[in-house]
Amino acid sequence: MNIKWTAKKSLTLTRILTLVTLVLAGAALFCIPVMTEWYDAVSGHEPIRMMLTVCLYLSAFLGIAALLGLLKMLDNIAKQQVFVNQNAFCLRLISWCCFAVAAIWIVLAFRRPLAFFVAFIAAFGGLVVRVVKNLLEMGITLREENDYTI
Amino acid sequence: MPIMVNLDVMMAKRKISAGELAERVDITPANLSILKNNKAKAVRFSTLEAICRELDCQPGDVLEYVKEE
Repeated sequence: MNIKWTAKKSLTLTRILTLVTLVLAGAALFCIPVMTEWYDAVSGHEPIRMMLTVCLYLSAFLGIAALLGLLKMLDNIAKQQVFVNQNAFCLRLISWCCFAVAAIWIVLAFRRPLAFFVAFIAAFGGLVVRVVKNLLEMGITLREENDYTI
Repeated sequence: MPIMVNLDVMMAKRKISAGELAERVDITPANLSILKNNKAKAVRFSTLEAICRELDCQPGDVLEYVKEE
């Protein structure tokens, strides 16, 4: 059996994975109260259920917003619209979502220092996406210049 | 943009239509429209050369520098 891996197949796989992650994030919303209750029971530290629940809900909503932005971007790529302003907007949205999640987990880190690592990873992700956004914006400028060179 | 394209003036002087000029210069009417309406970001020397040849003019007759306020 010879399965040839193409850009189209890769894009389809990315879209499926994003959709699966979106469904998981949506399902996680229903499990957050149970998860936080379980965490307080097993952590052995002072209870932070309320704070943790709020942080997780906020992070989940931001994550869903970022995933929707990613799906929109993948739709545009499938339509051969790569260097368009809407993609730059989606990347900006994803990057700000990451930074917002980082800020939320920094607050939580005052009670549970380990949360700082989650904040660091989210901030780093946001930074990388921001650099890609800047690259895309430069690409859009170049494409416009090329389109308007007669 | 401080560089203005006065193509319509030269076209009126030479009594040539946009469609005819586009065909003679070998660019699409849409691109000629972009050029005429000052929407272009750059002009290739080859395009400028063809325009000057067909309109029998100098680049300065088509392009003009206007100081920005």
